Amino acid sequence: MKPEINIALMNAAQEILTRFSPLIEDEYEQSRLNSWGALILISAMKFNQSYSSLAEENDSIINWLRKTKQTYSKDLIKEIDEVKVEEGVEQTILDEQNQLLRAILVKAHKEVDLKEDIELKKELLNLLREMHSHRKVSDLIGLLQQADS
Amino acid sequence: MSMESNKELPSKFISYYSKFTNKELTLLSFERVFGGASRETFRIQVKDKTGSEEKLILRRTQESSLIETSQSTEYLAYSAYQGTAVPVPAMVDIKEDEETLGAPFMLMQQLDGVEASPFTPDAYSPHEEKLGKQFWSILGEISKKDINDNFISQFENNSEDPCWKSELDKWVDVIKEDSISIEPILEAGIRKLYEDPPKDPQKKSLVHGDYRNGNFLFKDNKITGILDWEMAHIGDPLEDLGWALSPIWSWQDRQKPAYLIDRQEALSIWESSSEITIDKSDLNWWELFACIKGMAIWISAGNEFKTGKNVDPINLFSPWIPGDIHLEIILDILEGDLH
Repeated sequence: MKPEINIALMNAAQEILTRFSPLIEDEYEQSRLNSWGALILISAMKFNQSYSSLAEENDSIINWLRKTKQTYSKDLIKEIDEVKVEEGVEQTILDEQNQLLRAILVKAHKEVDLKEDIELKKELLNLLREMHSHRKVSDLIGLLQQADS
Repeated sequence: MSMESNKELPSKFISYYSKFTNKELTLLSFERVFGGASRETFRIQVKDKTGSEEKLILRRTQESSLIETSQSTEYLAYSAYQGTAVPVPAMVDIKEDEETLGAPFMLMQQLDGVEASPFTPDAYSPHEEKLGKQFWSILGEISKKDINDNFISQFENNSEDPCWKSELDKWVDVIKEDSISIEPILEAGIRKLYEDPPKDPQKKSLVHGDYRNGNFLFKDNKITGILDWEMAHIGDPLEDLGWALSPIWSWQDRQKPAYLIDRQEALSIWESSSEITIDKSDLNWWELFACIKGMAIWISAGNEFKTGKNVDPINLFSPWIPGDIHLEIILDILEGDLH
């Protein structure tokens, strides 16, 4: 079995930070290289999850839209009905589906905003938080601080 | 700006500056400073024939910058606060031509002190208390200054729209132009701002536009310089306050804005220094606005990176880390409104 891509990236980042960066005397170039090292490290840590996170996000959005479908306008219901979420497709297709679902979700959110249903509003914000947690890399901010020191 | 043109820059600079000062000068050091994406910044040291040394900062316009700003904005702002309670570097020269140093530039005296990253929680330890009092008091001084001043009066101030709308429209346009994906959290934040605008300000001020930790110099327990005025404009003073208070600048200790002192104490100091009473609901609006403005900047950076216009790592870092954090703050605000 071949070494995985994320392992390769992680080792590259560590070599950049600990082996090559200290050899550079120019302060600007060294800081810039350190930033690259940290960003490659973050990429390595998120690399394996990128496909599954996107697939999970698409599922979460369409499931929620279908679950709450009856509360929307006719046009929006029609759009939701027409969405097809395919499984096992390439990441670019998954990305396209994600953009389509996000656009529908924005329309749904506008309609939810006009209602007095606090629970529905809370549920929608929970969905947005779940989506954000699938993608965010800001939890790895500590890696940047280490690279900077 | 290519690496090649940067290689020639030190010799071009010393030739220009010798002529400018009418002295025979030698270059002791010429170093680019990392960080910031609006201008290339260089730290320079020169010596004349008598052995007298001078430390300077050169800010040169980039071909591709995060936010397109005129360098005269920064020059006017620095000029307006010379000799006031707002510490700023003395200006030496400004040139709009591209012949002298390859791009328009500004030259200023170097101040003592260092900058800290806004993402380093203990950057100001053990001087948080003293630096914090100065930080919020200086911001109040910026807001207090009369906008009919010779320099500030040269800023544009003829919009018929209220301050909040001019600023919100401007940043929403940046988002529309540069977005590379649909972001429902951001869309919700923008809708909320348009639906529930703030009142007109008690008085208009010069707004620094990027007043935060990381954009000031300090030496031990003293703030020695307020920098990075390229987004300065006439507007609502609460805009700067909302930006400086944003939890993004103290993400790992949100009780202490800018990693300095407690929020309530910060607000009291600002009110006393600016002589402006804070309207809480208006400040809330400007705090949400800070997230939208931040997102516009991070999105713009991401666009520069993705399209290959400027692959400086800061343009990848910006949408990844600050972009994520600002989305989370927008969510916190939207959730807070439901309780």
